Amino acid sequence: MNGAAPNCLEDRRTLPRWLAPVLDLAATLILWLYFTVGFVICFAPFYLLAAFRPGNRTSSFQRLNHLFYRGFFGLCRVIMPRQQWRIDPALKAVAGSVVVCNHLSYIDPLLLISIFPRHTTIVKNRLLSIPIFGWMLRLSGYLPAASQGPEAERMLQRLEDMPGFLAAGGNLIVFPEGTRSRDGAVGALNPGAFKIARLCRAPVAVAVIANSQCLFTPGRFRFNACRANTITVTLVEAFVPAYDDPDFSLKGLLERVRTCLTQGAQRLEGVKGTP
Amino acid sequence: MTRDHIRDALLKIFSERFEIERPGLDEDLRDAYEFDSIDAIELLREIELLLGSALTREEKKAAMEIRTINQIVDYVMTLAASRPAN
Repeated sequence: MNGAAPNCLEDRRTLPRWLAPVLDLAATLILWLYFTVGFVICFAPFYLLAAFRPGNRTSSFQRLNHLFYRGFFGLCRVIMPRQQWRIDPALKAVAGSVVVCNHLSYIDPLLLISIFPRHTTIVKNRLLSIPIFGWMLRLSGYLPAASQGPEAERMLQRLEDMPGFLAAGGNLIVFPEGTRSRDGAVGALNPGAFKIARLCRAPVAVAVIANSQCLFTPGRFRFNACRANTITVTLVEAFVPAYDDPDFSLKGLLERVRTCLTQGAQRLEGVKGTP
Repeated sequence: MTRDHIRDALLKIFSERFEIERPGLDEDLRDAYEFDSIDAIELLREIELLLGSALTREEKKAAMEIRTINQIVDYVMTLAASRPAN
């Protein structure tokens, strides 16, 4: 498999065998340069300005994160022309919703943040303890995953603010499987995102990502820059659950969303590989 | 508000809001029913309605360590005692 994820086509026939790994490494280094030097030169000053600016700091940080990752995927398009990107235009219209999505690769959260300027998400507590990065996540208003320990009060505050955030048009991005799928199948869903949706009486938008694991495969350092691939993000369904219906159940909501995710992922199987 | 009244009101909330039917009064809700902090926030809203007054941040923080129905009943009893009777 040469390090390819399951369900990804091997397609490097047009390149000499030695060239593809070299180009993959070069693309990876360019993207890491964007994350480090590019961040410091092009974005850090704006983050610092936002950090010390009076007013809505979290909103400014969210927008900067959105722009940073848009820049990242813009760069991906330039340096990896064999990657095709199909982003459902309907996603742009989603607002004030809990956006739930399947999870295949580390680039999935970045992809969704690049779509939604006003967003928040749930982050693992260990990420919050990373210097600078953790500080940025906190100032972006992201929600700590764990409710115990030093982040407990922050989580409480964020949850209390969530109804207002969603009512103002922000989106909460969640990957309810909690971890990346290694075989493409949709795993069991954690109920947390749906409890927040119920708490806020918020609409639920179900998005499906396909083939991101073919570009950045779990367990690999290098991007598969040379492989022909089509990454797709599709809005499968958007609905307001009948929270006040006596028949409403969280289990029923989970089941509905899991069915949407599974069927959506199966439909998108047809676009994998060479376009 | 008596202890029995509070316990019955809480059991009704657990049934209607959290789909948890007749939990043991000393059962650890987190372990037995995956009752987490998001549920706790929702429960606190219901407790505010029950008491007819808003909870302070400190009162909400104190609730985050609670694990059982009996502890919640104690918590609500304490809150009720600290508020003027309706």
